[in-house]
Amino acid sequence: MNLHTRYAVPLTAMAAAVLSAFGPAPARAADDEITALTKPQSELSLGGGFVFEDNQRFGRYTGLRDRGLYGILDFNLVKRDDANGTWLRFFGRNVGFDDRELRLDIERQGNWRFFVDFSQTPNFIPYTVTTRLLGIGTPNQTINGSPAFASYDDLKTRRDTWTVGAGTNLPAGFDLQVRYRNEKKEGSRPWGQGVFGTINFLAEPIDYDTDQLEAILGYTGERLQLQGGYYGTSFKNSNLALNVTGGVAGLSPMALPPGNESWQAFLGGGYNFTPTTRGNFKVSYAHQTQTEGFIVSSPTGRANLGGDVDTTLAQLGVASRPMPKLTLNADLRYVDRKDKTPIAQYIPPPTVAAPGTYDGTNEPRSLEQWFGKLEASYQLPMAFRVIGAIDYQQVERNVYAVRSVSIRDKTEETSYRAELRRSFAEQLTGALAYIYSQRDGSSFLFNQLYGTPPPTLTPGSNNIAPLHLADRDRDRLRFSLNWTPLDPLSVQFFADVAKDSYDTRSTGLGLHDGKFQNYSIDAAYAFSPDWQVSAWYSYNTTTAEQSTCQAAAAAGGVCPATAANPIWQANLRNTSNAVGFGLRGKPSSRIEIGADLQYQEIVDKYEQSPLAPTTSTVAFAVPDINTKLTTIKLWGKYALEKNSGIRVDYIYDRFKTDDWTWTTWVYSDGTTVSQDPRQTVNFLGVSYYYRFQ
Amino acid sequence: MRRLNRRFAMVLPALALALGVAVAAHGQQAERAPRKDLVLKGDAKCTRCHDETEEYPVLAIGKTKHGTVADARTPTCTSCHGESEIHVSKPADAKERPKPERVFSTKSATTPEAQNQACLTCHQGGKRIHWQSSMHASRDTTCVACHQVHAAHDRVRDKLTQPDVCFTCHKDQRAQINRPSRHPIREGKVACSDCHNPHGTIGPAMMVRDTVTDTCYTCHMEKRGPFVRNHPPVQENCAICHNPHGTTNANLLRQRPPYLCQECHEPTSHRGTIPGNVLGSGVGTNRAVIMARGCVNCHTNIHGSNNPALTNERAFRR
Repeated sequence: MNLHTRYAVPLTAMAAAVLSAFGPAPARAADDEITALTKPQSELSLGGGFVFEDNQRFGRYTGLRDRGLYGILDFNLVKRDDANGTWLRFFGRNVGFDDRELRLDIERQGNWRFFVDFSQTPNFIPYTVTTRLLGIGTPNQTINGSPAFASYDDLKTRRDTWTVGAGTNLPAGFDLQVRYRNEKKEGSRPWGQGVFGTINFLAEPIDYDTDQLEAILGYTGERLQLQGGYYGTSFKNSNLALNVTGGVAGLSPMALPPGNESWQAFLGGGYNFTPTTRGNFKVSYAHQTQTEGFIVSSPTGRANLGGDVDTTLAQLGVASRPMPKLTLNADLRYVDRKDKTPIAQYIPPPTVAAPGTYDGTNEPRSLEQWFGKLEASYQLPMAFRVIGAIDYQQVERNVYAVRSVSIRDKTEETSYRAELRRSFAEQLTGALAYIYSQRDGSSFLFNQLYGTPPPTLTPGSNNIAPLHLADRDRDRLRFSLNWTPLDPLSVQFFADVAKDSYDTRSTGLGLHDGKFQNYSIDAAYAFSPDWQVSAWYSYNTTTAEQSTCQAAAAAGGVCPATAANPIWQANLRNTSNAVGFGLRGKPSSRIEIGADLQYQEIVDKYEQSPLAPTTSTVAFAVPDINTKLTTIKLWGKYALEKNSGIRVDYIYDRFKTDDWTWTTWVYSDGTTVSQDPRQTVNFLGVSYYYRFQ
Repeated sequence: MRRLNRRFAMVLPALALALGVAVAAHGQQAERAPRKDLVLKGDAKCTRCHDETEEYPVLAIGKTKHGTVADARTPTCTSCHGESEIHVSKPADAKERPKPERVFSTKSATTPEAQNQACLTCHQGGKRIHWQSSMHASRDTTCVACHQVHAAHDRVRDKLTQPDVCFTCHKDQRAQINRPSRHPIREGKVACSDCHNPHGTIGPAMMVRDTVTDTCYTCHMEKRGPFVRNHPPVQENCAICHNPHGTTNANLLRQRPPYLCQECHEPTSHRGTIPGNVLGSGVGTNRAVIMARGCVNCHTNIHGSNNPALTNERAFRR
């Protein structure tokens, strides 16, 4: 005790003296802190997660479908050599799950770059299939081939994608980027085969290989920037046909997607004529082929289709500010898709003969499209801006004399847009826009569905203007508001409503009215830098009113309009109410927490009613479908050290539906498909994280 | 020995104190010397006030590509924010310190064009060639509305967090991506930028490739054909039938069959069938058109069929 007393004063003085003398001690700490704040950091997380319930939806794209333990491994390892600017990054996410991602990236910044990326994406079909189908996963399937029914709750596809890329900066402002991507997609998904009265279940075998190669030579100068290159693609399917035993006569083999290839050469760029005027352009030419061997012999004598499509594209745009307050924007684009596939008589007479919906030839589809835009905006006082614009689109299609759907060879759509906008202000910004669009086109062509050209011509059915070809008037109003009444509080409001009116031609059939309304309100409040909350609500609804008739006559397309076969209408409405809530907090220097909640209710209504006669006795009732989705995500981090800690994640996911799509459906072969109408899943994950430099 | 210790006990503190005073004095001299740059060339001018503790932390830029000083192209604070002399040396008569020449914020007096031009000075090439003609540019969207330039983790460049950035404005899509039929956007397997280039393209809706179909084909190339039997909307625009952001109908269909199909097809034969009896039984046409896979129960090769068989009419059944 004496000793302590004796040395107390000298030691304290010494400590004070040393502290004042070795200023570098706190300075070193400061350097470490600066390093921590300014140098790249790596992070590694390792742990486990437990899924408490088997499920069909929650793990659809992650593989977390079965009750059990899953490994958690995420990392982002980053190293930079400050002396030469060389980065090394190795990134992994969900490495323990089926949707894992891995990426290795090596780069000498400003010189060259190389990366390899792997991504795996499962897509589990969210249903259980109970069937006697034999051969699932193969191109040879036998309907009712198994003596007993078996349940499959793991029909799925999986994409394994590898991407390799490299790039280098060349002298004089040039750079070269090359990227190659290979995607292998394998698995099975529900498919089918049917005719009136017999519909069987099949499982489409999928074994795709898709390659894409892109090489781009770029130039970046002060005024001129260019990008030119090559984009080549190849799609290969290991299964070209599904051979079905025991199915509907005459429908086997069934074609599966044929392989196809394409290449495109392109050049695009921009040029700053002045500091306030910039022009841009792109031209490209693409050649696509499909020469996969036919799965059965063709009476044409051809071994394959000889698919040949050439697409030419040209675009020119200019953006200019001729006066400080006036901005002009003009753009013109032309796309010419010429399908040069040879036309052949695939079904010769007498198998095909008038009257019919088909003349036996294949029908290559060509499209010629023009898009134009002219926009002017003028700056007003108080940071307001007024915008006026015209958009134009013209599509010309090749057409054939014999057809089963009404068609016009040309459509034109012009949109007029007026907008008042305030983008930059302390408290209140927003925009109000009104858009009016009008679409029309050439006359609907006389449909030779039935009969041959004059003198024996009999008009075919030509009642309905297809939704993308019909004359349409659209009124659309968009409104947005961003309000920051206080520094910590921000509020957003969005509204987007539109009303479509379709010309139903003289018959009154087809889609006649459409509407959508989207409203959202968001609010965020920061109690302090450590505590923030946010909440939002969205209401979305789309409606379509359309009519058609049952059993129209092939010749002339006249609707019977009888009690048994009436003209009828469907009012289709999809309505969604969704809310979200978020919380981020830091209750102490060691603890961070977060919470996210989303709840959505979706109602699909199918209101059907007779139009003529209104007294029709046909059963029209189709029940609504109600879907409710709830997701709650809670997480917390506890720092054990400055650079390590424990993270806990909890997810509650609930899916509830009364969807009747499959509930009473039994395929002719006895197959049933079902989903659990109430799916509740709990997930708990615990991981240890470690950060380092 | 004891005496010696006592001497040291007196002398050592005195020596240390003297040393401390000397070094402290040196430290004061050092303070008068120019401050060291912390990350970027010339940043001492800024980092003497701006550090990681203020509202807009700045130092994490050192963790980003913009903080890689070995790359000769790396900017300085002033190459983006301007020299801002009167911000640095606040005029004596100014009540508040004037803002820097360029402030990157929606509340800034710096125009969106001026804000974006600071970025475009270096980033006009590549995927941003068409920026000035893009819808985002004409809507006064600034680069920093989406990008966090000073942050080590730029949320919009991470597939998992990117959608939340886009949903700041695109509210409809926020609700749509949660619907039962959707792309794996929530899981971070598909990001908005897989289909859209927000920096501007010549395609519609800023599609990454020149058309909607070409963009979809990057992942769904089996739909490309051409086929012996083509279904015309497939060649024209996938969005005629599909809403890629999410729907309640299987396969992201905008509308459930048969209603979707009846929006184009003539009412002859069975095409005008009134769907119904969904709680009944059997595979009658009125059930077959709406239950299970709807019209594609039979017309299974709806995107096109390459089957040249004699008996294969145009109805995509095989």
